[in-house]
Amino acid sequence: MSDDLLIEARDLSVHFPIRGGGLFGPAVVVRAVEGVNLDIEKGSFFGLVGESGSGKTTLGRALLKAAPISRGSVQYNDGEVQHDLTKIDGKALKDYRSRAQLIFQDPYAALSPRMTVRDIIAEPLEVMGLTSSREETDERVREIAAKCRLNLEHLRRFPHAFSGGQRQRISIARALVSGPRFVVADESVAALDVSIQADVLNLLKEIQQEMGLTFMFISHDLSVVAHICDHVAVMYLGRLVESAPTRELFAAPRHPYTKALLSAIPSLDPDAPNIAQKLEGEIPSPTNPPPGCKFQTRCPYATDICRKEEPKLEHSSGEHEVACHYWQDLMD
Amino acid sequence: MTRLLDVENLTLKFKTDEGLITAVDNVSFTLEAGEVMGLVGESGSGKSVTAKSLMKLNASNAVYDERTKIVLHLDDGPVDIMTLKSSKDLRVVRGGAISMIFQEPMASFAPAISIGDQMVEQLQVHTDMNAKRAKEVSIEMLDRVGISDASTRFKQYAFELSGGMRQRAMIAMALSTRPKLLIADEPTTALDVTIQAQVIDLMKDLVTEFGMGIVFITHDLGVIAQTADSVAVMYLSRIVEQGTVRDVIRRPAHPYTKGLLAALPSLDDLDRPLTPVPGDIPSPLDRPSGCVFNTRCSANLGAVCSRDLPDFTTVADSHRVACHLFNEGAAK
Amino acid sequence: MNDMTDTSNNPASTDQKLKEAYFTASQGQLIWQRFKKNKSALFGAWVLIILILSGIFAPFLTPYDATISGRDKDYLNGAPQIPSFCDDNGCSLRPFIYTSERTRSIETSFRWVTIVNTELEGRRYLEFFVEGSEYTYLSFDINLPGEALDFRIPGFTFNTHLFGVDKGMIHIFGTDSTGKDIYSRTLTAINTSMAVGTIGVFIAFIMALVIGGISGYYGGFLDSSLQMITDTVRTIPSIPLFMALAAFIPDVWSAETRFLFISMVLGLIGWPTLARRIRTHLLTERSQEYVLAAQLCGASSSHVIRRHLLPSFTSYIIVDLVISFPYMVLSETALSFIGLGLKDPVNSLGVMLQNVTSADVLLNYQWYFIPVIFFITLVLAFVFVGDGLRDAADPYSDSHK
Repeated sequence: MSDDLLIEARDLSVHFPIRGGGLFGPAVVVRAVEGVNLDIEKGSFFGLVGESGSGKTTLGRALLKAAPISRGSVQYNDGEVQHDLTKIDGKALKDYRSRAQLIFQDPYAALSPRMTVRDIIAEPLEVMGLTSSREETDERVREIAAKCRLNLEHLRRFPHAFSGGQRQRISIARALVSGPRFVVADESVAALDVSIQADVLNLLKEIQQEMGLTFMFISHDLSVVAHICDHVAVMYLGRLVESAPTRELFAAPRHPYTKALLSAIPSLDPDAPNIAQKLEGEIPSPTNPPPGCKFQTRCPYATDICRKEEPKLEHSSGEHEVACHYWQDLMD
Repeated sequence: MTRLLDVENLTLKFKTDEGLITAVDNVSFTLEAGEVMGLVGESGSGKSVTAKSLMKLNASNAVYDERTKIVLHLDDGPVDIMTLKSSKDLRVVRGGAISMIFQEPMASFAPAISIGDQMVEQLQVHTDMNAKRAKEVSIEMLDRVGISDASTRFKQYAFELSGGMRQRAMIAMALSTRPKLLIADEPTTALDVTIQAQVIDLMKDLVTEFGMGIVFITHDLGVIAQTADSVAVMYLSRIVEQGTVRDVIRRPAHPYTKGLLAALPSLDDLDRPLTPVPGDIPSPLDRPSGCVFNTRCSANLGAVCSRDLPDFTTVADSHRVACHLFNEGAAK
Repeated sequence: MNDMTDTSNNPASTDQKLKEAYFTASQGQLIWQRFKKNKSALFGAWVLIILILSGIFAPFLTPYDATISGRDKDYLNGAPQIPSFCDDNGCSLRPFIYTSERTRSIETSFRWVTIVNTELEGRRYLEFFVEGSEYTYLSFDINLPGEALDFRIPGFTFNTHLFGVDKGMIHIFGTDSTGKDIYSRTLTAINTSMAVGTIGVFIAFIMALVIGGISGYYGGFLDSSLQMITDTVRTIPSIPLFMALAAFIPDVWSAETRFLFISMVLGLIGWPTLARRIRTHLLTERSQEYVLAAQLCGASSSHVIRRHLLPSFTSYIIVDLVISFPYMVLSETALSFIGLGLKDPVNSLGVMLQNVTSADVLLNYQWYFIPVIFFITLVLAFVFVGDGLRDAADPYSDSHK
């Protein structure tokens, strides 16, 4: 594994069995994530986009060992320790937990209403036993709270005293207090008002640069991802369909789904020409995906080959990867 | 264009344990048939409450000011919604002349009754169709909104449809009575962006075909730019800027509108940093005196902004803004 | 006084202080604030406290022993004697009642008749803090096999009663057919019913916590099997069960033992409903995101339970307990009424109502029903308090979206 990579995932799959086979019919399995290869560089801001049912949340959780890995390998290497996430348990898992954290989407549900802000932020330290005294804990809590722009007097209050944006900052502080190297932000700004969203995004960017962290930013909102991420991967029905540095992806998308996704975003210009490739139909059910390429049911360019063979993620140029049989023909 | 709706001085307060909370303050706007008006604002702006006032759907502790007039111009003549007191009087309007679609379609379909039965019931309440004719009309509508296999879907239940289809079914149900006015409360917020694009297209087609007016409530300025003809920007219960979509989005006058646009990540300019509107939305219990936005306004003029409510100044034809920066004599 | 330069009286800063108090109020304090605003719940709480205290201090508040030993042989089925201050013979600062005598003579055709002596010398004056029969608190008599291990805690013995009369006895709620003072019996009955209810609720709660807790926390197969057991116990019809148990209780058991046994049985029947509620609360709380956040830090199950799950449902459980209390009391009343529950000398409302089923009582001795008013008040007070607590603990009132 290359030294620049923090996370290397190969053929990562997460399957949830709904029903075993037998009397009531064949086994039903939800293939939430299927055969994903991805590399996350140290210190980068990696974006993962997809719509509902794409499996992006499950992928994020799998990388944190909060969802079971059914197949494939995930290697973690931050320069200090190395972990193989498929085989990790016990003490090694505890160590990994202190290095990889999650920021939730819903700022109202992610904070226990019965704990003060100070206790909420201090909880990871106490659970992981990272500090030896109450003063040390308080010191670290104050430090991280200041970084997240929370006043000292806020620490004595309960979550009900705060707005959505402030609660999200508390959530961020809690994720960062244990000094992780890898932070997954799962739709962390989706529930916030636009004016607050910008504030939280700027905070994340600042923290990432200051503390040298690696972020994985999961979102359905492409415009947000475009502004804040260095590298973007697009998922559809559990598969990675395209992955490229941000500028390249948005300037020259190669996969038909990515193109449709980009053109579906309503532009702020009322007179923008309607170049949209409107996708018809809906995303297929993850329990019964179509054979071949998963996107063929909605792809305007699908052919027989697409219906039979699933395309592999291949290199198109530099760090740009696409999973489509016809990406070359479709290049503008 | 015929005038459809006149809202004058809509002021609404809620009676609570903590006193009277102002939810909507002196809101006025007009709507023509065939026009889509966007009502944009963040949480706490009062846009949802305003929309619900058009059908008097707010909670029982809502207190309307006496000067409020909401005049709906029907074929038989104008009706002031404020004069309709009993549910019986209002029933004519609700679902008949005015229809509403909501953000969460699962919440507006009864889960244990089939979609078809609910649509037929709506038609029978508001028109004198018999059951057979109502069924025909409903299936036609389902087909018109792009639901394939409409006669089968007619018998299905809400949970059997996907999110996008449910939203279309809700649009079908809302439009089957050929209302003059459609109120859409965040209809696309819960949808994936590709589905959102489909639903927006559908609504634009239907507006042209049916010649009705739409009040489109959302926090998403991009959707407004693509769908609406005129827009009103609300902040903490007041309208701060109104005008055509081109005027307001291209030449925003109010500092809040400018702040919102600056905070929006847009694909057109990836290098521009995101600038949030500073501060947090005040709680409605804590309304600032004078201009409601003065506590967060970077262009705050000092005493006059925190003391006096700004009047509307016309900046261009139908473009008006409520800001002291534009009042005569305020220029410094 | 109202110095304009005094900033601490400045309405803005008092406002600030109030807001800060709200921001730093814990969940428990918020619930208490909301509860206080609910007038009927607060009223119910006061009534409840008064009734409970009168039950605890019953021996002091009542003039006579509630059992046979305190009965008034001369005043069987006697009407309530309400003290008054004035009558035809003049007023007095001390309240008094009249003497009644049972006599039989030629004039009354040799039938027993109660004559009330309303003359001045027939007055019996009320006295306060009189000495009377003894009563003991906190006395335990432990009998273990082997003489050496027996021990008793003497407890505290008092003999002062709040009021009495200088001659004879006073019965402000009247007496029953054996002469027992109904007022004394009512207050001790409250005490007994509360004791039965407390023990029953306590036992039900412990069992429900264990079973519902395991069910809710672990889920899966354990949950399904425990739920099947719970549902089975819940469907056992209680009246036939008690009939069977009543037949099973040996006569040699003392009234106290019988009392304990009935309480235990009530608890053992009552746990399924509570267990179901606890399980539901746990299932909801377990899937909360902040629990997942703690688990992602590597928190152990005990930490999650202690820090997150238990505090979260404490308020709900208190509500559930308060609401199940009246059911226990009413179940015990029903059982004792039909003779399957407590018996004399242990005294409860059900026991007192055992004697009201004859037409004689209904027509002539209506004061037998006075205790019913007390019990309706008690149950209603519990219900108001329980409802008020439940409204105050409402989880939706502090999310602002």
